[in-house]
Amino acid sequence: MFSRILSAAIIGIEVIPVNVEADVADGLPTFSMVGCLTGQVREAEDRVRTSLRNIGVAMPPKRITINMSPADILKTGSRFDLPVALSVLTASGFLPEHSLEGVMAVGELSLSGELSGVTGVLPIAVRAKEIGIKALLVPAENLAEARTVAGLNVIGFSTLTDVITFLKEGTLPEEPELPVFGTELNRYQYDFSDIHGQEAVKRAAVVAVSGFHNLLLIGPPGSGKTMLARRIPTIMPPLTPEESLEISQIYSIAGLLTPENPVMGTRPFRSPHHTMSPQALAGGGAIPKPGELTLAHRGILFLDEMPEFSRNALEILRQPLEDREIIISRTAGTFRFPANFLLLAAMNPCPCGYFPDMNRCVCQPGDISRYMNKISQPLLDRIDLCVEAPAVSYEELTRRGGNEKSSAEIREDVTRVQAIQQERFRGTGIAFNSEIPASRIDEYCPMEERASRLLENAYRRMGLSARGYHRIVKVARTIADLDGSREIRSVHVSEAICYRMIDKKYWRL
Amino acid sequence: MGGEHKENKNLAPEAGLPPVRIIRKGTAEWPARLKDLAGMPEELYVIGELPRDDVPSAAIVGSRLCSAYGHTQADAFGRVLAEHGVQIVSGMALGIDGYAQRGALTAGGKSFAVLGSGVDICYPRSNRKLYRDLAVQGGLISEFPPGTQPYSYNFPQRNRLISALSDIVLVVEARKKSGSLITVDFALDQGRTVFALPGRVGDALSDGCNYLIAQGAGIAWSPEALLEELAVKETMASYARRARAEHAKLLKDALPGLDASLTGKDGVLHYKQAELFKLPDSEADLSENAKLLLPHLSADPKGAEELNAETGLEPARIMDGLIELALSGYAEELGRGRFVRTK
Repeated sequence: MFSRILSAAIIGIEVIPVNVEADVADGLPTFSMVGCLTGQVREAEDRVRTSLRNIGVAMPPKRITINMSPADILKTGSRFDLPVALSVLTASGFLPEHSLEGVMAVGELSLSGELSGVTGVLPIAVRAKEIGIKALLVPAENLAEARTVAGLNVIGFSTLTDVITFLKEGTLPEEPELPVFGTELNRYQYDFSDIHGQEAVKRAAVVAVSGFHNLLLIGPPGSGKTMLARRIPTIMPPLTPEESLEISQIYSIAGLLTPENPVMGTRPFRSPHHTMSPQALAGGGAIPKPGELTLAHRGILFLDEMPEFSRNALEILRQPLEDREIIISRTAGTFRFPANFLLLAAMNPCPCGYFPDMNRCVCQPGDISRYMNKISQPLLDRIDLCVEAPAVSYEELTRRGGNEKSSAEIREDVTRVQAIQQERFRGTGIAFNSEIPASRIDEYCPMEERASRLLENAYRRMGLSARGYHRIVKVARTIADLDGSREIRSVHVSEAICYRMIDKKYWRL
Repeated sequence: MGGEHKENKNLAPEAGLPPVRIIRKGTAEWPARLKDLAGMPEELYVIGELPRDDVPSAAIVGSRLCSAYGHTQADAFGRVLAEHGVQIVSGMALGIDGYAQRGALTAGGKSFAVLGSGVDICYPRSNRKLYRDLAVQGGLISEFPPGTQPYSYNFPQRNRLISALSDIVLVVEARKKSGSLITVDFALDQGRTVFALPGRVGDALSDGCNYLIAQGAGIAWSPEALLEELAVKETMASYARRARAEHAKLLKDALPGLDASLTGKDGVLHYKQAELFKLPDSEADLSENAKLLLPHLSADPKGAEELNAETGLEPARIMDGLIELALSGYAEELGRGRFVRTK
């Protein structure tokens, strides 16, 4: 007899519905699985056979064939255990013939017949709703995650026995209390007001987030670079439910959602270690999994100790910073991952960290230039803002209850400035000031007479490059927006000049 | 010597530079300062000129990795001495050496670099512009044949030529163990006067200088102290002033519309600025932000963060003031948003 149930494969971040078909026929007892499967999927045979026996169901000594279609895409992962078990049970007549119609199932089986959670349930639920299925059967562990998709019938089970009882008799299993989606959005552990002093650095962070300008922090060890970086997601515009769903799907595929945190309620903050390989950054594997760049989508990618990253890893960043997505080509095909993140980099001023404090710095002149040269110019060209985080004085460290602005207040400013940009760039494909092409600078960045004279003067006297010039204008545009000014005034230009990336050759005392 | 023929083939330096000359001991061109000294080489390789015997010359040496204080002082001493006609001799190294020589060239004076490699090799390479400028506004000198690489053991040896070609030696910044102190040893052997720039006690970079002062070196409390030692007469200073005034007059005649008050000592630069941006003539003309900041700036480089802590002004206003001060010559940016006061 033949039966069929829906399940799903994940290719990159795309969900492809898969038919899991079983045929139970007379002949020598065999169990064969076909349909472009990896070893992980093939192991389902042993898990299904053993768990069925352990819950008291004997597999018929017949010729069992499992096929997964479409057969030309590679299936991987452990989520096919449950659909395989259910289709075998139906094909062998243990479950009613039509019980699996319109049902999609995912889940991994243990030998005792318990269901354990799998990755990618959220995007599968989203896809399931699109194709209009009757019910999605998931392990109880993934229930909260799948329930965030409104209007989809999701049922969570903790054992295979429960699934069989449900399909035979329609008895629903008991359900734990689940959080309501949407209530937990934008609750951050940290707040911007935790940072005392550091006014210039904080201001630079606000400018960076407002105009989506990438930011480089330079400062000695312990100057609060990481502390600041962690708080930058909190001043980005609030995460909308749509965005939350989008990034939660990525995190679901990466297996980073837990029953306690079934959705991403906050903007991601990814801080990969500097020993990270290019593959881990971009997304690795025969069928690539989301890498750090994609996990930072709609949030912050923080590269601490930037010069310590391998050159190859850093060069990976260049294309995503332009295109806001990353394209990976493998033998299995070309995969497209979203990677729309704000890059935040931090570095010491020299290998020992104390330059230009000459009483503490032990570096030789060559050491410093070698250290700086580890970052390629094309990458620096994509970073609009550069600011120094000086060592924090004892007074600042211990000062309490200043009038530091809270994240919520700053977030309002940022949201307002981003709305101005949305209005300005309507219909142009540009989203933020940082993306203004050089050819349209004059159109979007009208400048007061005094401001353009100041800029011209600075250009000649301060050794700016043409690229540096454009970046200053774009940053000045954002500062003017923060000020609510349509024209760029000289104060805005001055501030932007102070944030400029200094050419490497001037990067010394 | 067998190698001589081969060396001659290498005598063409890079394009646009004067040819390499060989000056032999005992010839008329041989510097008088070297004549009575022991351990001098038999010949010198020169691009450009050698220091003139009848004009005072001073060596300015110091640490390669220097502080902002060392940077500004090296520049100032180089410039003021050169303005008074003193020839500046140094090693074209990173840090103090290069800044002092650059200062001398900016002032329109002459400066000479004694290299630890062949004269046709620019080392360090990041000083390429200085190297080329020195070739035409002074000279590049080496006792090593063209093509010699900058081996580390060449440098202590060339230091004796730096002091030998100078009448006085000024150490701007040096750690307790520094190559500059080797130069000082040579200078004392050769009978040259040694000056040291005093620094703060506790600054590692000034330890060497303060130690020299304790040992009896002259205190370089101002460029005038060195001028006095060199017995540079007032006539020379007044000559320099007259030359600048003539330059300004020429400029004014050529460009009738020019506001005379803007023609400073480097008239041309000021003229260009006047066209671009009306510069404040005095502190009174500065904007409010700039006026508030000026008293807080010093020779110690400060960034927006420190100034914010000191003045309580918002970062945006501080940056506005800093850029105005930098563009009007009251302050200078020394890399990565740190400013020092220059006027």
